[in-house]
Amino acid sequence: MKKEIVTFVINGQARDLIVSPNMTLAELLREQLDLTGAKKGCEIGECGSCTVLVDGKPTLSCSTLAIAVRDKAILTIEGLAQGTQLHPLQQAFIDHGAIQCGFCTPGAILTAKAMLDENPNPTRQDVKEALGGNLCRCTGYVKIIDAVMAVAEGMRQGGAK
Amino acid sequence: MRAFDYFESKTVAEATKYLLDYGETARVLAGGVDLIPRMRKEDFKTDCVVNIQRIPNLDRIELDSGKELRFGAMATLRSLETSEWVRKGYPAFYEAIRQIASVQTKYMGTAVGNLCVGTPASDVATVLYALGASLSISGPEGDRTEAIQDFCTDYRCTSLRRGEMVTGVSVPPMKAGEGSAFVNLVRTHADIAKLTVAVSITTEKDVCREARIAIGAAAPTVFRASKAEDALRGRPLKAQTIDEAAQIASGETRPISDLRSTAEYRKEMTRVLVRKALEKASVAAKG
Repeated sequence: MKKEIVTFVINGQARDLIVSPNMTLAELLREQLDLTGAKKGCEIGECGSCTVLVDGKPTLSCSTLAIAVRDKAILTIEGLAQGTQLHPLQQAFIDHGAIQCGFCTPGAILTAKAMLDENPNPTRQDVKEALGGNLCRCTGYVKIIDAVMAVAEGMRQGGAK
Repeated sequence: MRAFDYFESKTVAEATKYLLDYGETARVLAGGVDLIPRMRKEDFKTDCVVNIQRIPNLDRIELDSGKELRFGAMATLRSLETSEWVRKGYPAFYEAIRQIASVQTKYMGTAVGNLCVGTPASDVATVLYALGASLSISGPEGDRTEAIQDFCTDYRCTSLRRGEMVTGVSVPPMKAGEGSAFVNLVRTHADIAKLTVAVSITTEKDVCREARIAIGAAAPTVFRASKAEDALRGRPLKAQTIDEAAQIASGETRPISDLRSTAEYRKEMTRVLVRKALEKASVAAKG
């Protein structure tokens, strides 16, 4: 199997990286780039803790070959804040105590971002359905939903997106 | 994950050439939600992965002139769920996709990929059996079309021959007086269903003219309960007829016991779910 130099666009930056085809996106992010926000949870695509956004779509990095997403825009939790300015979802998760052990948090925030980008006016039920693929083993779902609803509310009132 | 040769095809012909060269150790990569975890677990030997994600137009969803719904091998569950043609034209298909919990799976996974996995517990396959779908297949000997019930040959087995791949699915238009329904039995929608039932019935003045009853997770493949269908055709859709058909359908199952359910429970619940689905579809058939 050949290793190749492949261009990836990660958190807005083009990076030339050496990959072999059997490397998953989760492995590339965590082991080559030290972007450890995407967690390896179940590694069979059930838990959602490895979720990153690929061209804005919530994607399981454990079930994605890195080489298959070359040239696509990959957003990880590390790319969400603007400098020291947290993204509203990150701030809302802190404010609402929507973080317990923190393992599911990066995936949950990125999935919530994808939903809000598509539907800025979600109902509580919309939020629950959008996060249906992100398991929280601390079972802190109510606070996660509260946090996402608070951001949606802030957007409705013309706050920062 | 073990090493493999990797090809990104630009055309279906190129993809099928690799599938032919490598034979049964070649894998098609569409969404990857089933394939990649199974490759990591080494469920099967893989010498070659053929990525079809960048083949142009394979993600299309369209209504042809005869109002038949067609979608390609790269049409994701999410794109089908958000298609107005699916939501309005095929409500049972829409419902089968909508109730899948993981949005990531829906954004990545394709309906065709789901069919090619060949699991009897596929909600998508069950509803497509009920809607009378057929598959378009390309291979070294040209193109062919196959009815979905002939495609799924056994547990995790399909009729695909060496070098062949599924390029798309066609679903006939819903007729006047046709109603469909999808119901499944789950502990949580994040899990695979214990049992899935989808039906389509066509009625004329409350008499059943055509019936398709599809059952998932109760035999080695999804299957049509043909004796139950026979018991409906030509008869008025009364409660008693529906009960009888549901009872017959239950007798046509060959379920197993596993961690999700016992065989006995699946058999008993088939009767309940088929009755519910037929009731729902007969309401829908009245428009």
